[in-house]
Amino acid sequence: MGRCRILDDLTELTIYLTAVKEYSLQNEATWMQRLQQNDEEALASLMRLYYASLYNYASRFTQDDGLIKDCIQEVFISFWQRRETASTILSPKFYLLRATKNKVLKSLHKKSQQAMSDSLQEEYPFFYEFSIERIIIEKQISEANAIRLRKTLSLLSKRQKEIIYLKYYQYLDNGQIAELMSISRQSVYNLLHDTIQKLKDLWHGEFITR
Amino acid sequence: MYTTSCGMKDFRLFDISDFVMDEDFIRWVYENRKEDNDFWNNWLAKHPQKNMAVAEARRILESIEMDQKTISKTEVDGQVQRLLQTITEQEHSNYPVAQIHTIRSSRKWWYAAASVVVFATAITFFYFLSNRGAKASEFAYIKQVSSRHLIENVNTSEKAITVKLPDGSTVELAANSRISYANDFDSSSTRDVYLSGEAFFNVTKNPSRPFRVYANEIVSKVVGTSFSVRSFEQDTVIQVTVRTGKVSVYSQMKAKNNDNSFKHGEIMVMPNQQLLYQKEDESFQKVLLKDPIMTEPMAAVGDRGNEDVPITTVFKNLSEAYEINIVFDAELLKHCTINAPGIKNESFYEKLDLICKAIGARYEIIDGQIIIQSNGCQPN
Repeated sequence: MGRCRILDDLTELTIYLTAVKEYSLQNEATWMQRLQQNDEEALASLMRLYYASLYNYASRFTQDDGLIKDCIQEVFISFWQRRETASTILSPKFYLLRATKNKVLKSLHKKSQQAMSDSLQEEYPFFYEFSIERIIIEKQISEANAIRLRKTLSLLSKRQKEIIYLKYYQYLDNGQIAELMSISRQSVYNLLHDTIQKLKDLWHGEFITR
Repeated sequence: MYTTSCGMKDFRLFDISDFVMDEDFIRWVYENRKEDNDFWNNWLAKHPQKNMAVAEARRILESIEMDQKTISKTEVDGQVQRLLQTITEQEHSNYPVAQIHTIRSSRKWWYAAASVVVFATAITFFYFLSNRGAKASEFAYIKQVSSRHLIENVNTSEKAITVKLPDGSTVELAANSRISYANDFDSSSTRDVYLSGEAFFNVTKNPSRPFRVYANEIVSKVVGTSFSVRSFEQDTVIQVTVRTGKVSVYSQMKAKNNDNSFKHGEIMVMPNQQLLYQKEDESFQKVLLKDPIMTEPMAAVGDRGNEDVPITTVFKNLSEAYEINIVFDAELLKHCTINAPGIKNESFYEKLDLICKAIGARYEIIDGQIIIQSNGCQPN
């Protein structure tokens, strides 16, 4: 039963991701226009479209559901308040992701009662639980091997997890990833390459026998 | 953007890492689109030496699948409503609120609440303040009404009257009650009406334009449903009773607090439930109606009508017929059965009594739900 649910979720995710891509290409421009004409429904559509994405991203930094929801609300409210200048925003999705990250990290910081410091951009957590159910089902590897795989995957650094997340879940390009993580494009490429190398080594022979 | 055989990209030169980082490749693995499948199967047939690299790249991408919480559409819709509401409130709060600020100074939430109310409703504005013993001039009331271009219906007769709203929704307005609403609802993203007194609403469905009833301190919000609200100025309790559909209710007091952290709770009221708002301590209480009505016929249990059927199925059918949540421990009740072909015409509570008696269980009503308490049954 549990497995069926996971498969359903994955199908849903795939449908959702496809929808996001197609929608965003066609409608982003029109929405920005409608936003500037004070159309609240345009704002609502943007939220519907990106909510899952933003929530998911925010949940990488904290498990506090209430805090995440509040932050996303605030992000959209300030987005609405700045709608006059919306035309300067090239990708609303990227803008919203960045705003959400900043808002969540700031709230976490405030909560922990520390003074603002530069360490904010580096010292945040990044929760990333690899899901092994799908490979167990689809590739029929043994559960023991899958658990070993998950353990190894979880040894990736926070930065490596974040970069994988941004590239493979949020479909951001290297330039956007660089900006979100406050590193250079070259570093993005290097970090990505190293991470993939690590994953590649991991897979070689050991886990899957065909 | 996607280049096939002759684009800028030459997949023949790709190693595993290149594939893993390539957006077209990623899309093929994650989205499984037909056009991508066609392209890659075709390409692999032409370049069989790349089969291994492609297979490994696929495995890597598949292995970084991640656990994530799925977010239901209802949850997203709830958040969208919350956003729209905040925005509407913020924009209306540009209306003059200066005179309000002198009324009371001891409790900080009052400012927030007052500014919400002053935009929200001319009528509520007036009664609200007089409830609190404040002096609101008749002039301010008229000014608020005229600035919002509201139509007002006042029922001074002894009997209820029917008011038809611009969107086709109907309102049974009780005696000594009044209601105000905009000339048409097209210019706003919500359908707002302001009530003083009691009314039964039958709201036409329009998911993109929520219907909101402002009744003194509380707001009831629906998409399309029938329900009633009772909120006379002298009442100490505001009542919201739901006949069909779902109604979400929130307190204007709590809708905005000082730190702007939006921690107000919306309470969902289901069919056959009644929500009571105590003005005194600003608290909500959910109760079940004395005689719940079925929203759809109860599904029959058992084929031949004279056999033992699992009690859990009976509870499920009962719960669906009345849209009343029945909470029970399915594991504990798994051996409990009932042979009761006759359950049909009894009232909700009679049915519940019959069923509980048959298995030696008791029930409690907590927060508008039925909680079944039982020690379980012995397996046959």
